[in-house]
Amino acid sequence: MDVEFIVKAGQYIGAGLCMGFGAIGAAVGEGLTGGWANRSIARRPEMASPFTRTMLVGQAVAETSAIFALMVAVLLLFTDLSGNGICASAAAISAGLAMGLGAFGSGIGAGYSSLEAIWGTSRQPLVGGQMTTTMLVGQAVCQTPAIFALVIAFLLVFKDYSGISAWPYSAALLGAGIAMGFGAIGSGWGGGQAGGAACEGFARQPRLKGSLTTLMLVGQAVAQTPAIFALLIALMLIAMGPKDGNLLVSCAMLGAGISIGLGATGSGMGNGITSESACRAISRTSSVTRPMMTFMLVGQAVGQTPVIFSLMISLMLIFGNYAGPVTLPGAMALLAAGISMGFGAIGPGYGNGLTAAKACEALGMQPDKTGLIMRTMLIAQAVAQSTAIYALVIAFVLMFVV
Amino acid sequence: MEEIGSVSQWILNIAGHQMVLNKETLIMTWIVMAFWVLFALLATRTTKLVPNPLQSAAELLVATWDDLVKDSLDLTDRRYFPFICTIFLLFWISDMLGIIPFLSEPTKDINTTLSLGVMGFVVAHYSGIKFKGFKRYIKDYFEPIFFMMPLNLIGEMAKVISISFRLFGNMMGGSIIILVVSYLIYSLVLPPILYAFFGLFIGTIQAFVFTMLTLVYISVQIK
Repeated sequence: MDVEFIVKAGQYIGAGLCMGFGAIGAAVGEGLTGGWANRSIARRPEMASPFTRTMLVGQAVAETSAIFALMVAVLLLFTDLSGNGICASAAAISAGLAMGLGAFGSGIGAGYSSLEAIWGTSRQPLVGGQMTTTMLVGQAVCQTPAIFALVIAFLLVFKDYSGISAWPYSAALLGAGIAMGFGAIGSGWGGGQAGGAACEGFARQPRLKGSLTTLMLVGQAVAQTPAIFALLIALMLIAMGPKDGNLLVSCAMLGAGISIGLGATGSGMGNGITSESACRAISRTSSVTRPMMTFMLVGQAVGQTPVIFSLMISLMLIFGNYAGPVTLPGAMALLAAGISMGFGAIGPGYGNGLTAAKACEALGMQPDKTGLIMRTMLIAQAVAQSTAIYALVIAFVLMFVV
Repeated sequence: MEEIGSVSQWILNIAGHQMVLNKETLIMTWIVMAFWVLFALLATRTTKLVPNPLQSAAELLVATWDDLVKDSLDLTDRRYFPFICTIFLLFWISDMLGIIPFLSEPTKDINTTLSLGVMGFVVAHYSGIKFKGFKRYIKDYFEPIFFMMPLNLIGEMAKVISISFRLFGNMMGGSIIILVVSYLIYSLVLPPILYAFFGLFIGTIQAFVFTMLTLVYISVQIK
């Protein structure tokens, strides 16, 4: 087949993936917002018009991620990439995956922020315009992973691939798309929930606006770490991906992308719900504002351990030495190492987040028992972490023993 | 984009063994140390009851960490305070160094974060043996049931990996994002904002997280 046809085919598949996945999250988020706007109107019918206005603003921000996806899809449909070399085909599919999946979490997250903003205004009508500001700040931060995905998609589309043979670089590009696409889901979704909790807390305790915004921003920034790791691996795969090599290298690059991409979803979500609970707890017990920050950060940091295992496996797969004999089982073992660590990190990341979230709430109820709550949280997280360690051990066995 | 992943190194031949030094990391770490030595000298030159701005900044830093260490360890003396506070000061300025042109963060190098992570690990376990006695220290590995021992061992190792890769990944990710964005848009507007976000904001949070986790690991061992 001609290079031109292969690239064209890749572009069409990429455009389809991009818009298909990209339409999910924003629509769900907007639906949630609309539903809660109606609930709020039922609570305070006289304020219907400000609710509708906030709803439309919130939905417009949630829509942004879908518009990013639309932009990349149109770009893939109508740009001629066939002069870029054979790898442009994989790059187009990968750009579609990155942007499509990357828009998912941010869309839903932005919806959570705006629904809580409207519900909060119905609880405390006097906050008015300041609530919209808090909502927009929360939504802007949870939009960041989608922007990372957009950067990766643009980089993939506009890079020059001429003179590079199809494999293994195509595998590296696909790995980059998978890493960034999946990696953005958890951080976007979780960050949005934190933004929502800050809006709810603001409605309960308007004088805590400053501390709530700080706690929300710090929590969201930490919840963004998994997306930053995914971006790091995606950029490494694009910039340093091997230009020649065998089947082993191809599978290793794909495995590296899968490991960090899937691994980032659980920890991102978990970190997000931890900061959500922290925001809710300080709006109920304002005296714990200071210890809560430390407590939340420790809980989130331990919740990130699974994604750090994923990062390590990805880095080892990228920088591994593949001089040995090329066999199909050997190649599949490398791919499977990435799959084992990637899927294996989702549950522990989310589970650790659930533990830390309830621990933050517990601190709000019993501010004197910090030490006891922290110790129980750390023990529970260590046990939940053990499944990530099983996945890590199997990944090591697949990489070095089999 | 070719700068990604390139490291400038000195390779020394000492008695037949090759010793590799990461030039940039070494120099930048020395700059951070010089900053703090200078800061300490200036802040304590004229200590008064009514402090000057520099002295109050130093007092604020030290008092905050003193409180944090006291809260988490429940000890009467200050034996862990200098270690914990030093880790934070070193990493805090290290993470922010990248916002100055021509300087780069030493924490971008895994060797920096890993060595401090290993140091915290050694201190935590040494304290564990000292406070609980060797027999109880070993016994804790067989909790809750004896066959959990290998998992507990791997879990302890995993702590070192997670604490050092977290800081490294964040700093490396930030600097690569800035490099790529600068390469894509050739603009003056966005990169400085990104520097402020990753250097000042994320850098401070991650330095705090690293230090707090070292503190928590010590407190888990000595209780």
